[in-house]
Amino acid sequence: MTESRPGAFFRLEGPLVAKPAVLAAGWLAANAQRIEERVLRLGAVAIAAPFALGLGGERTTGQRLAWSSLRGTSRDRLRVLGEEYAEVHLIPALRAIGVDLIERARRDGCGIVLVSDHIEEIAEPIARHLRADVVRANRLEMSNDRATGRLADPVTARLGGEALRDLAREHHLDLARSRAYGAQGSDQVLLSSIGWPCAVHPDRVLRRVALDLDWPVLESP
Amino acid sequence: MVTGFTGFVAKVFVALLLEEVDAIGRIMLLVRPRGRLRPGRLRVEQIVERSPAFRPARARPDLKDWLAERLDVIEADVERPSCAMSEVDFARLASADVIVHCAGLTDFAPDPIKALSANVAGAVHVAELAERLRAPLVHVSTCFVAGSIGRAAVPERIEPGVAPNGRVFEPGSEIRSLHLACRQAETVAQRVDMALERARTFGWPNIYTYTKGLAEHLLASRPELDLTIVRPSIVECARTFPFAGWNEGLNTAGPLAWLISTAFRRLPTVPDHRFDVVPVDDAAKGLAAITAAAVARQAGGVFHLASGDHNPLTFERAVELTGLGMRRWTRRGAGTPLDRLLLRHLDPIPVPADRQGPLAVGRLRRWVDDLPERLQGERLDRARDQLARVERMLELYLPFIHDNDWTFDTSRVRALTAHDDRFRFDLRDIDWCDYWVNVEYPGLRRWCIPLIDGARVPEDPPSHPPFRLESRARAEEWTTRVASK
Repeated sequence: MTESRPGAFFRLEGPLVAKPAVLAAGWLAANAQRIEERVLRLGAVAIAAPFALGLGGERTTGQRLAWSSLRGTSRDRLRVLGEEYAEVHLIPALRAIGVDLIERARRDGCGIVLVSDHIEEIAEPIARHLRADVVRANRLEMSNDRATGRLADPVTARLGGEALRDLAREHHLDLARSRAYGAQGSDQVLLSSIGWPCAVHPDRVLRRVALDLDWPVLESP
Repeated sequence: MVTGFTGFVAKVFVALLLEEVDAIGRIMLLVRPRGRLRPGRLRVEQIVERSPAFRPARARPDLKDWLAERLDVIEADVERPSCAMSEVDFARLASADVIVHCAGLTDFAPDPIKALSANVAGAVHVAELAERLRAPLVHVSTCFVAGSIGRAAVPERIEPGVAPNGRVFEPGSEIRSLHLACRQAETVAQRVDMALERARTFGWPNIYTYTKGLAEHLLASRPELDLTIVRPSIVECARTFPFAGWNEGLNTAGPLAWLISTAFRRLPTVPDHRFDVVPVDDAAKGLAAITAAAVARQAGGVFHLASGDHNPLTFERAVELTGLGMRRWTRRGAGTPLDRLLLRHLDPIPVPADRQGPLAVGRLRRWVDDLPERLQGERLDRARDQLARVERMLELYLPFIHDNDWTFDTSRVRALTAHDDRFRFDLRDIDWCDYWVNVEYPGLRRWCIPLIDGARVPEDPPSHPPFRLESRARAEEWTTRVASK
């Protein structure tokens, strides 16, 4: 039996990059194959944006709405453009503080887990760049190699509970000895399930929770 | 013995055999001299020295001796009776185990006299040679001799004397009639139109498939000939050998990729039709395995080298991948400022042939023609020429990209090579997205599209001293002679 080791869970949005996932949905919508599709998809993302950013209603629903704008997009397109978005817009914008925390966690023998609200096609190139051991990102359901517009469960906005324990079991990670870095109010589910939580560049909600629960708060200048 | 070594497929085939088969024996290359200044041997030497197909071979420190033991050249011309070969050269071929005939003219609408000479007479002369030598003949043809048959599965079979549209004909008399009609036509354009007309009456879409088809029918009706027909589909950039992306000359995907990488972004096609592409190294592997079976007298009949029946790529997907390939290629700094600023953001799309929209090429050309005389000038003439060129290209390609949807059966070659690790032909492991975006499109941009734009493609630098293909004995004899002087 493989011995478990501590993990280091990093939320991509916040600790590692400042850009929210809804921007990626908008960028992919703006790069649809046909011009008329671009207009319609961008409109759908614009409607979903306030929810996806947590400005109103449930964040998970907002994410579902934002990514649903990609309904009908081919798997090839998601793959090629996802890689482009990651390489052009996210990897150059990685926060030094987050990258430094990853390096430190790796040196401490932690398994690096990247958790992202982006879709897998975007998160995976970043995970490769950061040499993460596990990546858990949103997955668009496919039918005949085209996105149905639905996100497969579980949606990563609220990773925790059974889904988190399954992930830890699968990759032999000891949650009690693990550390987690989040930035959004919705990350409190993840952070509170882990032994060593930490807020990095937190939003208003998570900052308040972190102060209440005495979690460390990290911010780069 | 191999013909057509100067062509794309044969070059990779020979380079692959040399690389992969230690006990290859000797490959005799039948090469046509280009006048007195470029004998066949020199042409072979230049290819070995400068063609990217031979990069792996050139990495060998003992290249000269290694090749001298494996490669030899016979000056001959397959288009002439008895291949214009001397008796001495014929005697050198006496122990040939197999003849692989790759030579041919692959233009879609060439002068039919040239096509008849290269594709029909060439095949017949090589077949006669094979009969005299009692060697099996592997004749490389094309899948598209299946002709314009709409949406259909194409079996690995030939019925001599039955045209694609079911018309029964006598190949010899058709060839004679075509020769006669060519003599009566006054210009090349008339000959081309006449031959296209004749081709269509049999169900062949162009002069290339027509002459290749006629050659197959002629060869298949020779009872003395131990014949194996190999039909590759659209041969495209290499996956791994000699290296990913290598291509040579103008193949089918090159002009199409060029077309939809220009301001012309609407390709008339049917989205779910198959675009049957096979990488050149896979085609060479399949050909090598079939040749080995022919040597063992275990081949015969027809083999398709295609992808559509076991890993189909649709036109819808190919068009989208071409746009994505261009996007990635320009992102890495390639292309013109217009490509980078505008065209990379405008994806090509497939459209029905009868609904190409306001920017259809024919409509644009008529619009340019109708402009008032005071607006006409050199620029508009250039635009008109360009549009006419695109229109002509689309007309030639429509049977392949729109009118037909062939599914070529490849079960014979896949069964033959199922347990062959070196020469397995099975394209199920091609990830079309990765191949098209990272291999095919950049390969076409580097090796094919410059030719359409009238530029040259890069060759490998010449070696110093120039490579010479000499047998070791001849080299020693030469050294001794020089020393004695």
